[in-house]
Amino acid sequence: MKHENDNKWLDPLLERHIHREPEEFDFEKWAQKHPEEARMLRRGFEDSGRSTKTKPSEIWRFIMESKITRYSAAAVVVLAITMVLFGPFGTPGNSGVVLADVQQKIADTETMIIRGTKTFTRIGEDDDVIEINGLRCEFDLVKYSSKQLGLVEEGSVDGKLIYRITFNRPKRQAILVLPPWKKYGAMAATDEQMRLMENLSPEGIINMLLAGDHKKLGRDKIDGIEVEGFEFQQPDLFVELFPKPIFDIQTLEGRAWIGIEEQLPIWVEGDFIFGKSLLTLFNEVRLHEVNVVDKYDVELDDKIFDTDIPEGYTEFGLSDILPFIPAEAKAGAAAMGIIPAGIIFWRRRRKKKL
Amino acid sequence: MKDLEDQILVRRALEADPESFGELCRRYYHSLVAVADSILLDHHLAEDAAQESLAAACRQLAKLKKQERFGPWIDAICRNIAKDILRELQRQRKPVEAYHERECDYQDDDQKAILAEALQQLPQHLREVVFLRFYNEMSYRQMSNVLGETEQAIDGRIRRAKKKIAVYLKKKGLGR
Repeated sequence: MKHENDNKWLDPLLERHIHREPEEFDFEKWAQKHPEEARMLRRGFEDSGRSTKTKPSEIWRFIMESKITRYSAAAVVVLAITMVLFGPFGTPGNSGVVLADVQQKIADTETMIIRGTKTFTRIGEDDDVIEINGLRCEFDLVKYSSKQLGLVEEGSVDGKLIYRITFNRPKRQAILVLPPWKKYGAMAATDEQMRLMENLSPEGIINMLLAGDHKKLGRDKIDGIEVEGFEFQQPDLFVELFPKPIFDIQTLEGRAWIGIEEQLPIWVEGDFIFGKSLLTLFNEVRLHEVNVVDKYDVELDDKIFDTDIPEGYTEFGLSDILPFIPAEAKAGAAAMGIIPAGIIFWRRRRKKKL
Repeated sequence: MKDLEDQILVRRALEADPESFGELCRRYYHSLVAVADSILLDHHLAEDAAQESLAAACRQLAKLKKQERFGPWIDAICRNIAKDILRELQRQRKPVEAYHERECDYQDDDQKAILAEALQQLPQHLREVVFLRFYNEMSYRQMSNVLGETEQAIDGRIRRAKKKIAVYLKKKGLGR
């Protein structure tokens, strides 16, 4: 057959021309080049599939439709920030601090009281603490964490309580109260958010961070306690959890000092950079947070985790934050569909009349 | 894991088992490079296209309804990505020939240059089977998995492709 004759002389020609010694596919390298996809593969497709395909503005609209969900999202964000600082634990090393032991000890710890500071500054101007309506955003913190009951964070300025956020684990509820303004935001957690909260417990965070890199900072002493330091970066930890228009966490760098004898974190500090988003009132913001562990395994009163609405408080709404959003950001946000344009113009008209 | 069917690996990958997707990648990577190479005629670009195809497949994996047809599905993704790259190159007025020449240094080798022309004048669906066959000595069975066609259909395509190549080469004074 003619065809057979063609084959005889064509095959080696084509083989020489096309054949290549194929390189083996390196999945690890591919995963490094494609971090989003690698994350989807690690975490499953239920959550991440949605976040990679849905536009942030659509997600925002969806959230805006439900008041409860809206506040839940905000609560989760705040709690996430609260808790992430307790996650600087990598793989076991050869130092005095064995991180696997720390991980286990944290898992075994029932309660914690943490004290510290939370300072919001403008990016690039570390001394320029942000002020909102005369309030200097440099808070003294107290956090109460209970494995069973949930988490409370209180932020005060000059001894005056500015905010308290409470997540009640058994009730699956969260509440943010702002005493100076007598405002509150009540939230009921959905199943998805509950699952998220489980991941954001100190233990869950540790597990998440096991995959991350850390750098040893050596030994030091804090209040006479011998500690070993670790530095970690997790810029992508929350990337897929929150739509950027709501909360844009750009970077997170943290340092943790772990007591060598105690095998528990003694001092944890972190620096976040947030892009312009609703929860930063459309400012680019740096947050420096310091957490010092005051007590472990102390008895905490159930009432601390109460989520009842205080008497005389009214619900916090979108219009409450409008006065604090820069004018140019308002226009941009309205254009993106983050804030309904009607609200902005209504507010402007009302101002003129005044 | 190497013996597991695509369908099982896809299901496991969807259940947060990255290694299963890794196995699918290893299984199809070479054929994807061959398919992309048959469109782009540039090996390095073809590797990029194949890697991007795997990423695109990963993002859309949950949408794959017939999991047993992962091979033809990712093949189609790769073909589309390679065509997109080609269109972009053409938009930038960078003809593929330029890549082809730089890649293979054919200027000093007339026979190779004519063979390259012969391959370029093939319709894409025929060029694809030739590349799959000769890129990594792929068997008809493997090609069948990738293309979702019967082995007989693939054999027919290869014959037609070779016939066209032979005619072209003879016109140019090559061949027997």
